[in-house]
Amino acid sequence: MGTNFKRPEYPGNIILTQLDALINWARQYSLWPLFFGTSCCFIEMAAVFTPRFDLARFGAEILRGSPRQADLLIVAGTVFKKIAPIVLRLYDQMAEPKWVISMGSCSNCGGMYDVYSVVQGVDQIIPVDVYVTGCPPRPEALEHGLLLLQQKIATESPSRPILHLEGGTQGSQKPILIDGQTKSRDTRGPGYEGIPIRGTSVTPPEFWDTRSDLMWAPPPHRIELAERDKSLAQLLNERFGDGIRQTLPTSDMPTFHVTENRLKEVLKFLKTEATPRYLRLDDLTAIDESARRSQKPYGSYAGTVAHEISGGERDRPVREAYLDYTLVYHLLSFDPPSRLRLKVGLRGKDPVIKTVTDLWPSANWYEREAYDMFGIRFEGHSNLRRILNPHDWEGHPLRKSHPGRATEMEPYTQDSARKHQPLDAGMFVRSVEDQELLVLNVGPQHVGTHGLMRFVVTLEGEKITDLDLDVGYHHRGVEKIGERQSWHQFIPYTDRVDYFGGAANNLSYLHSVETLTGIQVPERAQFVRIMLSELFRINNHLVWFGTFCHDVGAITPTFYTFREREKLMDIVELITGGRLHPSWFRIGGLAADLPEGWKETVEDFIKIFPSSLKDYEALITKNPIFKARTQGIGSLSLKDAMEWGVTGPNLRACGLEWDLRKKIPYSGYENFQFDIPTAEGGDCYARYLIRVEEMRQSLKIIEQAVRQMPGGRYVCDDFRYLVPDKSDTLKDIESLIHHFINVTRGPKIPRGEAYTATEIARGEQGYYVVSDGLNMAYRMRIRAPGFANVQVMPLMARGRLISDLMAIIGSIDYILPDIDR
Amino acid sequence: MGFNPMSAPLSPWEPGIFSLAIYGLLVVILIAALLFLSGWLGEKKTNPEKLRPYECGIIPTGTARFRYSVAFYLIATFFLIFDVEAAYLFLWAIAFDRLGWAGWFQISFFIIILLISLCYIWKKGGLEWGPTSKDRNIREISS
Repeated sequence: MGTNFKRPEYPGNIILTQLDALINWARQYSLWPLFFGTSCCFIEMAAVFTPRFDLARFGAEILRGSPRQADLLIVAGTVFKKIAPIVLRLYDQMAEPKWVISMGSCSNCGGMYDVYSVVQGVDQIIPVDVYVTGCPPRPEALEHGLLLLQQKIATESPSRPILHLEGGTQGSQKPILIDGQTKSRDTRGPGYEGIPIRGTSVTPPEFWDTRSDLMWAPPPHRIELAERDKSLAQLLNERFGDGIRQTLPTSDMPTFHVTENRLKEVLKFLKTEATPRYLRLDDLTAIDESARRSQKPYGSYAGTVAHEISGGERDRPVREAYLDYTLVYHLLSFDPPSRLRLKVGLRGKDPVIKTVTDLWPSANWYEREAYDMFGIRFEGHSNLRRILNPHDWEGHPLRKSHPGRATEMEPYTQDSARKHQPLDAGMFVRSVEDQELLVLNVGPQHVGTHGLMRFVVTLEGEKITDLDLDVGYHHRGVEKIGERQSWHQFIPYTDRVDYFGGAANNLSYLHSVETLTGIQVPERAQFVRIMLSELFRINNHLVWFGTFCHDVGAITPTFYTFREREKLMDIVELITGGRLHPSWFRIGGLAADLPEGWKETVEDFIKIFPSSLKDYEALITKNPIFKARTQGIGSLSLKDAMEWGVTGPNLRACGLEWDLRKKIPYSGYENFQFDIPTAEGGDCYARYLIRVEEMRQSLKIIEQAVRQMPGGRYVCDDFRYLVPDKSDTLKDIESLIHHFINVTRGPKIPRGEAYTATEIARGEQGYYVVSDGLNMAYRMRIRAPGFANVQVMPLMARGRLISDLMAIIGSIDYILPDIDR
Repeated sequence: MGFNPMSAPLSPWEPGIFSLAIYGLLVVILIAALLFLSGWLGEKKTNPEKLRPYECGIIPTGTARFRYSVAFYLIATFFLIFDVEAAYLFLWAIAFDRLGWAGWFQISFFIIILLISLCYIWKKGGLEWGPTSKDRNIREISS
């Protein structure tokens, strides 16, 4: 806690000082925090209000929904440049006097997100009284922060300003900090100005040399295509001739290069005529090829000798003719389950290509994202504007020429926050002819929107006539970060992509890397990975259960489900040492073996959880109010769900038995017995039923994992990729060398690409990793389930009441870092 | 026979009216004091942001003062009608013993008329709130 607070310069007065003490006492123990949080930290902040931590004991009662009723702003989570104007406005609109707690590293200083979209510390725009450290801080840490704030309040002398006398102090008195004067954003720390900023010198396009070229890595893992894929390739070749060229070999799925003019024909053929039908556009993204090393003359980036050492002909840069950009389409067929990749090279600085929104409506947002991030224009797109970055953003962040770090850019100040206001809601409204409609912003700061998302609702009475979504308030630039962190360093960032998914996120990322490299993960590690992923699935569904019921008016379940969730967190903490973000999986396995006593703890949970679940169901499943609020609300047809790329429980609620764990098994899920729950109708109630049943099935998987846990190594023995055990490094030189190399420089991943997806709690999370043979990814693409799942929301909400919107939001179960990444 | 406020003369010497006056005065003083203290005490910082309506942190678009949907007026009208019904019922209930059978028949007639009108409104769909089946079928997407 800072101590720039000064005692009053006026002599003490016995009446006023007694009054000070009285007022301070009253204020200390009746703080009203605003219901405000931006990201992961907010989950820990919410936990503080639930039974185990119970902040009310310390005198900060229920979270307030409006800044008018609040006098404490807990900035919990990352402050994005797009949300900063709103943070400032909320602070301005709060009642006087007011205090600010900055919770978590992101809010304190940007934390691990030194990236173009994040403000490097909320103290650059509003004054901060107490900083709580951690990523995220434990709930106890926030309680400690509150106690510190109470001590600070006790030193104030508010009676003078209250009685309109000269002097006295109350509320936040600290000035906002100014970069270069009162704070430093330098990532190197004081005294290290002489060294280059970490990462920049080895990141394309600035890098001039890399030591990764000196390292030998085996060629990427290659797959043998199935007969079905081969015949499809032949068919495509016959039909489109020169327009299509198959890439051989590949690491994951059949891949084709298509010329720009034949693209739409090929896509249409694959969707409507080919066998199998590729019905879903799994993902659409782009790659900026301008920093490809193979484009440059041979000698300019690495010595000839280096290449002689590092594997001769095979490792020599493939002189593949990269155009300026590559668009990548990942398609999925449901029956039989398989994927296919199409790549289109694009020329020019701001290339233009035809839209595919007429083939797949879901392409709408994906193309907007490609436009926003790369500046690729889509001809025929009805609404091509920025989606993730603020509307007045300059440049396209995923271009290699765009700065990656916020510290490379001008500091974000209070003036910036006043200037860069979010786009006016009128710009989202399509039906302008009727002036009598109410245009309402629901979110980004709203109790019911489950995060920083803005719904622009057009209302006729209480009926929603139109709905548009404004996302990007939680854009953490994680795909850009993936291009500068080494393959190991990126693991903690994956945890934070879906902050309820925890370790399950690690698995999605690692599965892609392991597919590309062909690393064999030992069976024990696979079982542990599955066990933890399923624990996190239950964790996610528990929080969803509480918040969804809360959205439709039942507040009780929240307190019970958070109780169970804390038990889960205890297990996770016992095994991994972390809570929300364990970052515990490693390339090739795990960070450590299971600790002593894990089995009993997990078994205890398996024993008690079914009866708890039964209790929750008894409260809710047959509750007539709950049914009235959810049955028939937010219906989605199966056809729409498939067209729009909806995945996870939301898809299964429409009646399709589709779960990647069964259909395209990974990490050894084929060894487990479990069912895929499905429901009919695709309404909010169906989605509820699916998730409740999924908790049961997850428990079944955990039970099997515990019972059949194999012995053996917890991490593979390929020292080329993994980080050896620290204790081994003190015993043998091989471990020491590889520990040193893989921790500092990071392992080299062979040139190639892989896309795989896993079934996390919210749907299918896919990672498309592209390596240029370096110690970091060339392109790190995350296919997030939420992005596709929320895009379909206007279909569910149009014509419904505004109160139904809350039920629909709750039932979709999205999370913002996953949508905005 | 004790004190009956209905029959007592309105005399300034009568303790009833005197205590009422004192009570009224105290209420006025208290309200004035509370209004003054809450208006005067404390720090007031006004700025354009604070005076702006709160709409989830976004600057609101357009006005909230326009013609309201007719559905709201319908609900208001129904409320008025059936609330007045309750007011008549209370009056009758206070004096039902003195009004006798004649009163009973009259009020029953009144209730039946309103009951029929309630059924009529119900049948006509006047009590339905929310989207009609036609609205639920909106499926077109324009983006």
